[in-house]
Amino acid sequence: MTPVEWAIVGLALLGAFFAGVAAIGIVRMPDIYTRTHAASKSDTLGAVLTIAAVALALQSGLSMAKAVFLVVFMFLTNPTAAHAIARAAEDQGIEPWTTDEEGER
Amino acid sequence: MTTSDAFRLLVPVADSVTVRNTVAYAVDAATEAATDGPVELHVVDVASTRAVDPDAAAELAAASDLLTRVEAWVDEDTGGELPANLSLVTDVLGADRYLFSPGDYADVLLEYADEQGIDRTVLDPEYSPGGAAPMLRPLTIELSRGDVDIEEAPVERRIERTVVFRAASLPKYLTVFGASFLFYMLLSAWKPVDFLTGFLTATLVAVLVAPVAFSGQPSFLRIGKQLVRMVIYMPYLLKEIAVANLQIAYVVLHPDLPIDPEIVELQAAVRGDTAVTTLANSITLTPGTLTVSVTDRAFAIHSLTAGSRADLFDGGLERAVRFVFYGREAAAIPTPRERGDDGGHSDG
Repeated sequence: MTPVEWAIVGLALLGAFFAGVAAIGIVRMPDIYTRTHAASKSDTLGAVLTIAAVALALQSGLSMAKAVFLVVFMFLTNPTAAHAIARAAEDQGIEPWTTDEEGER
Repeated sequence: MTTSDAFRLLVPVADSVTVRNTVAYAVDAATEAATDGPVELHVVDVASTRAVDPDAAAELAAASDLLTRVEAWVDEDTGGELPANLSLVTDVLGADRYLFSPGDYADVLLEYADEQGIDRTVLDPEYSPGGAAPMLRPLTIELSRGDVDIEEAPVERRIERTVVFRAASLPKYLTVFGASFLFYMLLSAWKPVDFLTGFLTATLVAVLVAPVAFSGQPSFLRIGKQLVRMVIYMPYLLKEIAVANLQIAYVVLHPDLPIDPEIVELQAAVRGDTAVTTLANSITLTPGTLTVSVTDRAFAIHSLTAGSRADLFDGGLERAVRFVFYGREAAAIPTPRERGDDGGHSDG
């Protein structure tokens, strides 16, 4: 395999790893706010790394430019969506989970 | 209402097409009232920036320039000599804080009205401080919290503006057109027909979007500078995002799930929709912090761990966003913790 192919595989694997972290985080986290953390950060990076792998694999200037725009829009829209979810939760009066409440640690 | 000997009239002014006529109307009203007793005419300009900001000097200069013109107009309307009972007071208000909503402007005006014992407020129907959209109606509602009479100056307003033919908005159309055209060409194959379709598309986008795309006048120099600084900002943001993800991955995969979530308040030193949005999104993307709600410049932020709260109040992102939007000098401000803008949360 060429170095570029290694990079593609590496990026795709890393992207899959962070997407997996996002999924595990959504299951493990206790409430909507903490779950949104996992979804907004890990998912963004997972998608961005995967798109980067795609850009490398396509190897054409135009496709790479399009991939870069995809990344930019992910960075714009993902946190905005996370913010919308969190704000909706707050508007509904959902109290954030805290450690003292549960008394576990 | 403070009772006093003089009748006091308040006229908030900003550059608008009807400000001249509003002042003329206020002078008329004041002159009329002056036949019954002493009258004070207060003409004030409300500044939206804090005087400590690097770009505040220009706004304050514009404000005092407008007030000088107002004085000249009053001179003109009274025939060069104020009636014996009439006195004119001009002032710039609000230079000590940032203002966003009509409510903020109303607060400043009502405080002034309280201090000075204002009896009546005359509003310019096109009053739009800071070059924002006309805010007459919301401002009237906010002002009715106080016990001052409010009156809209009965001056002739411009009838329905047509969408396309405002000379002042030409830079807006050019900016939107240029950006759309560049974007289109960047993603096209550079055939002759692409220039034609790109031109048509960009024209359509400009006509539809330009009227709502900017809150003030766009300046190519400012936008260019901000773009360059945005490019400098990206590596820093990417680094923060990478760190954020490693931390989240650690927390999520740790058997004990070591989290200590809490919602904290941050009074961020940014203003303007784009800057506030950029900061809010950056906060969401970086270590363990998630913007829950934003009211003006008060951010409610959900933080996952104590470490992420400490980072937040160190203000690195805030400084970076100030650098992008206001320049290098503006970035050197105290951290939110030092300013006491952290809602008392960071002493741990």
